[in-house]
Amino acid sequence: MSEALRKPAPAREPAGRKSVIQELADLSAVVVAPADDQTSLLVRELQRLRMRVRQVWPMPESVPGDADVVYCEYAPDLARRLPWIPGDARSALVVIVPATDPIQPEALANATPDAVLPRPFTANAVLSSIVLARSQFGYERRLRGKIERLDENLRSMRTVERAKAILMATRRMQETEAYSFIRRQAMDRRVSASAVAAAIVDSFELLGYDQHTDPQ
Amino acid sequence: MSHLHHETSAPWRIGVLFSRTGFMSVVEDTQYQGTLLAIDEINDAGGVCGRQLVPLAYDPGSEASAYGHLAKRLMIEDEVSTIFGCYTSSSRKAVLPVVERLNGLLWYPTLYEGFEASPNVIYTGASPNQNSLALCRHLMDHYGTRFYFVGSDYIYPRESNRVMRELLKTNGGAVVGERYVSVHARWQDFLPIMQDIRRLKPDVIFSTVVGEATAYLYQAYANLGLDPRRMPIASLTTTEAEIAAMGFDVGEGHITAASYFQGVESDSNCAFVQAFKKRYGNDVSTNMCAEASYFQVHLFARALEQANTLDTDVLRSMVLGSSYDAPQGTVTVNPQSGHADLWTRIGRANRAGQFDIIDESHAAVHADPFLIGYGRATAHAG
Repeated sequence: MSEALRKPAPAREPAGRKSVIQELADLSAVVVAPADDQTSLLVRELQRLRMRVRQVWPMPESVPGDADVVYCEYAPDLARRLPWIPGDARSALVVIVPATDPIQPEALANATPDAVLPRPFTANAVLSSIVLARSQFGYERRLRGKIERLDENLRSMRTVERAKAILMATRRMQETEAYSFIRRQAMDRRVSASAVAAAIVDSFELLGYDQHTDPQ
Repeated sequence: MSHLHHETSAPWRIGVLFSRTGFMSVVEDTQYQGTLLAIDEINDAGGVCGRQLVPLAYDPGSEASAYGHLAKRLMIEDEVSTIFGCYTSSSRKAVLPVVERLNGLLWYPTLYEGFEASPNVIYTGASPNQNSLALCRHLMDHYGTRFYFVGSDYIYPRESNRVMRELLKTNGGAVVGERYVSVHARWQDFLPIMQDIRRLKPDVIFSTVVGEATAYLYQAYANLGLDPRRMPIASLTTTEAEIAAMGFDVGEGHITAASYFQGVESDSNCAFVQAFKKRYGNDVSTNMCAEASYFQVHLFARALEQANTLDTDVLRSMVLGSSYDAPQGTVTVNPQSGHADLWTRIGRANRAGQFDIIDESHAAVHADPFLIGYGRATAHAG
């Protein structure tokens, strides 16, 4: 390995993006595992990343769900012990997998972990697991948020279309003109385009229906 | 070989999630009944690929969050991948993350507000283009253009009203009032609303009140001596089950749009009604939710016969595009959206607690959950 590669990564510009290590700092972690040398190594490595770590054992009936990351010993009934329903996880989950004892693939799949950490642990394995878990968990959450917004936009688009048609008929606007009118109003009033569109549609109804300006 | 044979005679385990207690039991209990009737019919005829269907049923007690937890239990502890259930949109949305994350299949036999198409759900109840559209047209043709909205306060009524409001406005109608009551509403909660209605004199009361509260709404209306011939309560959710709960005389004359009424005349429906009454008693009635619950199990069994596995990906591909001669008429699962193409009917409740069918589509109406193919085409003909 060349000397250049051994050097620590240069500190980022203050205005730049946080490094992965910086993103991990101050996160909270719960480690559900028996207190042994291995667990000590795990806790120490997480603390070295400046995470706040709490160790829990024996395995509780309901795994704590208030941390950013949960490291949890594999158990055949792990999914049942998680405090959330699948698809609605509140923490990134890393399942600690035994070195040789057999595990059930279904049980692991049902727990829907974001990463796994097989025994015996090493510093690199711990770092990899936390990076992967945070990345996967964050990405899934962003995708879910995106779908929610898409759903909402899909509905509001109908209102925007209706408002556009009203503007075109009542104000003799062209299509692009009508759209930019809605956009401009939204920016001026600091509300969403769909809120402006809804207001236009509502006021059109309030002012009364006129056959001659029926946008249909 | 004998071992293999033993394996293949093991039953198919399926999940069932309907509330048999709580405020939604008035209709969900009939969905449970429709589901079990179909399961028994299939088992009596030899099962699917020689294997019996075994339902694992839980009662979520009308609590939306319980549906999510019980779906988790069904999929993880009971190792079930196919679930039949849910009435309210809140309960469907509680089950959705579970079946989507664990790749299960939810069969949802209830009308809903549309704007959803999960790869992990088969929708066998009506979406707005299959009921709201025809209802709006019928009401404007026969009663007038001023509508008053009353609904239970949760997702479905608000979204359903959004669609109805848009339809009304497009066709020159107006919403003169809009009120929501708790899903736990009692009779006195409807008194101020009825006063408001008497003052505003709308042409139609459009109700999306669901569950037990439905009866209180209609009873409050009847107590004021209002006349359904002039100002009916029109609904997408009031079925024969709710009419029975409120009293036949109270329900008489009011309007419901649905894919199915017990009065549908067909051989398939005749057999369904007979079997339902034989099992649950002569005085009980079938309804659209019980019917959808019933035919979706048969649709499932047909697909399972072909797939010979409960693996969601294989099973779903067999379901898409498949048809079944349901009591309401032939229904087909639309391959694009996973929603069933259903019949549209308008019914008026009569003195016997049944609906006289006063209008119906000539064929099954294509499901269009995102209302993409409508707009100008719905413009009021009058």
